[in-house]
Amino acid sequence: MLTTNKVGITGMGTVSSIGNNVSTFCNSLRSGKSGIKKTPATEELKVSVDIAAKIEGFSFSDSIDRFQNVSEEKCQHAKRLGRRAPFVIQTSIVSALEAWSNARLHDNRPLPERVGLIVAGQNSTQNYQYDLISKFRKNPEYLSPRYALEFLETNQVGVLSELFDIKGEGFAVGGASATGNVGIIKGYQLVRAGLVDVCLVTGVVADLSPMDIQGFINIGAMGGKQYLDQPEKACRPFDTQHEGFIYGQASACVVLESEISAKKRGVSFLAEINGYALSLDSNSAANPNVDGEAKAMLSALNQAGLSVSDVDYINTHGSSSPLGDKTEAEAIGKAFKDHTSDLWLNSTKGLTGHCLYSAGVVETIATVAQMQQGFLHPNKNLETPVCDNLQFCGTEAIDYEFDVAMSNSFGFGGINTSIVLKRR
Amino acid sequence: MSKEHVFEVVKNVIVEVLPDIKPDQIHIEKNLRELGANSIDRMEVVTMSMEELDLKIPLMSFAQVSDIQGMVDVLTENYMASVESN
Repeated sequence: MLTTNKVGITGMGTVSSIGNNVSTFCNSLRSGKSGIKKTPATEELKVSVDIAAKIEGFSFSDSIDRFQNVSEEKCQHAKRLGRRAPFVIQTSIVSALEAWSNARLHDNRPLPERVGLIVAGQNSTQNYQYDLISKFRKNPEYLSPRYALEFLETNQVGVLSELFDIKGEGFAVGGASATGNVGIIKGYQLVRAGLVDVCLVTGVVADLSPMDIQGFINIGAMGGKQYLDQPEKACRPFDTQHEGFIYGQASACVVLESEISAKKRGVSFLAEINGYALSLDSNSAANPNVDGEAKAMLSALNQAGLSVSDVDYINTHGSSSPLGDKTEAEAIGKAFKDHTSDLWLNSTKGLTGHCLYSAGVVETIATVAQMQQGFLHPNKNLETPVCDNLQFCGTEAIDYEFDVAMSNSFGFGGINTSIVLKRR
Repeated sequence: MSKEHVFEVVKNVIVEVLPDIKPDQIHIEKNLRELGANSIDRMEVVTMSMEELDLKIPLMSFAQVSDIQGMVDVLTENYMASVESN
């Protein structure tokens, strides 16, 4: 049942280190506010890098109470589902409620069977499990029976589908650091193929355990070692002094919808998704690949029916990893050739840290927000770029009206994704 | 005395598992389903009550239990045995 129905974004929501809703998140982008800081010392085992962009001061109940256009009944339902749930579930509920509300789905929605749900997240219960291990070793009998539900990634599918009465297709996807984009791409396909009219795509917080963090340090992927006393300078995408990614936390959610459904409901696209690419390098390791990344960008444009000269801006993967940044810079040069002098680039990770599974959704929201409001956020720590043939945003935001943007996400295991977004 | 103590513990656990319920709504002759608990909530009340009382009872012991009274009885029986053995 293929159709040529256009697919767009009709709602967005987020809880992040630089804003607990889309509006504050956007203000932070414009002002170049970074969420990266030294993490408070705990009694927990110390890992060798304690710099991160964490969600701080989050209160689930207060976050729910802040929704003014959500019915009391829906708020109570959300609280019942989330009150005793892990932090990752709570933040997913809050960002999904914001996106659902933003798309005006509370009072005007398609049938439950015509709504899909994709949870973009993998290994999101790692820290939840890690915290339970010492108690479990002593008294396995006291493990909560709820654990059997909660350690599964698909618990998110159950919780969100119940809250929003979603009865179409629903599942969880993983793609390492490209997970968010994989989720958006799968959601796009569901809507585009006419299997659903609306698809909620939610990128979950990466709640890393100390063991996961040390693993990223030991594989050489995590930065911050030279900047232990200057955490705000630690995340430096495309700067010659970059030394690895800085961990960030964010939950982010977008509502994807067909043009026919949006028109019928009287809502506008915040942006249209024009094309995408998801392809593999056939590589079990962590290293990125210039050809694979360039191919993803060009395939996405080809699917969108656009040429390289149509693209105004790229929200790069830009993780602050020396090899990752160098590879992406080369891939952009290879794909866009002479057009690179007219093509603006920034990296949202410079402000939010690397939100891992949700990064693709966070950066799609950042891209759409900049497109709607006509600005590009700064690359705060970009002092000496790794190359001189690309046009990186500077250390202050600029006013810039643009129509076509690309958002890149690349993951361990040779997973390459690009999404093309168009202003409406 | 012990049974009252055990019921008090169970009551606190119920309020924690079912935040919409107030302590004065919990009567020993009621069952948890009437208070809005689903099957996982009920299992959790049992597990958390055991932990509070420092008891380890096979979950099968609760198989025939149909109300709060029955649960409190099984817990009390084991609680008394554990107090005596200590």
